[in-house]
Amino acid sequence: MTYKVEEIDNKRIIHLDGEIDMEVADKARNTILPLIEAGHEVQLNLSKVEYMDSSGISVLIESKKLSEQKNTKFELIEVSKPVEKVLAMARKFL
Amino acid sequence: MSETAHQDHIEKKAFLVNSSSLKEVRNFCRDVFEKLQIQEDLKDELVLAIAEAAQNIVKHAFKNAASPTELMVVQISCENNKLQIAFYDRGTPVDPKKVKHREIDNVKPGGLGTFFIQEIMDAVEFKDGKKPWINHLVLTKQL
Repeated sequence: MTYKVEEIDNKRIIHLDGEIDMEVADKARNTILPLIEAGHEVQLNLSKVEYMDSSGISVLIESKKLSEQKNTKFELIEVSKPVEKVLAMARKFL
Repeated sequence: MSETAHQDHIEKKAFLVNSSSLKEVRNFCRDVFEKLQIQEDLKDELVLAIAEAAQNIVKHAFKNAASPTELMVVQISCENNKLQIAFYDRGTPVDPKKVKHREIDNVKPGGLGTFFIQEIMDAVEFKDGKKPWINHLVLTKQL
């Protein structure tokens, strides 16, 4: 997994790509959470993520929860088809 | 259920028990499902279920303790359009009664994995591991 962060005022747009699994979940977490912690509005672009499992979903949930605690915004702006499928399945549980 | 008749096939591979192997597990599964001509959407779901089960072995049976020698074996077989995926490992014995998905307030990496496996597969069964194995998990799906 690789990532790129765009800065627009207080907004941070994070572009992730590749595969997000248990091995790289911490890298994703350590990329996203500090930006939310710092009070930035974070948008996540997952349009180039080819695979994501429950580890990746957990990072999204943690990010959402932290953004609520910090009273800032966290949202997904684009998702790939594989990510969309996993999110749809996760929603049945959530 | 698929209307396609899939050829009978059996294939297995051993992987080192660590998180770096998960990508290899996924690639192995994709190769086998390609040979079985499993439809793309179902293939993605099956790969996810298998990867989650392998992740559970690394996380729970071996408590994330990567070993340079410990192996987990994944065997994929298809017979009469019934797909069976078996996992063998020598980690901490799994108590099937304790295998359940987490509550949402306690979501952590891998916490949704068991839910995904149950959603995707028709059956999830822990069998008695025969020596040298300790855990033997079998996932099945009618194609």
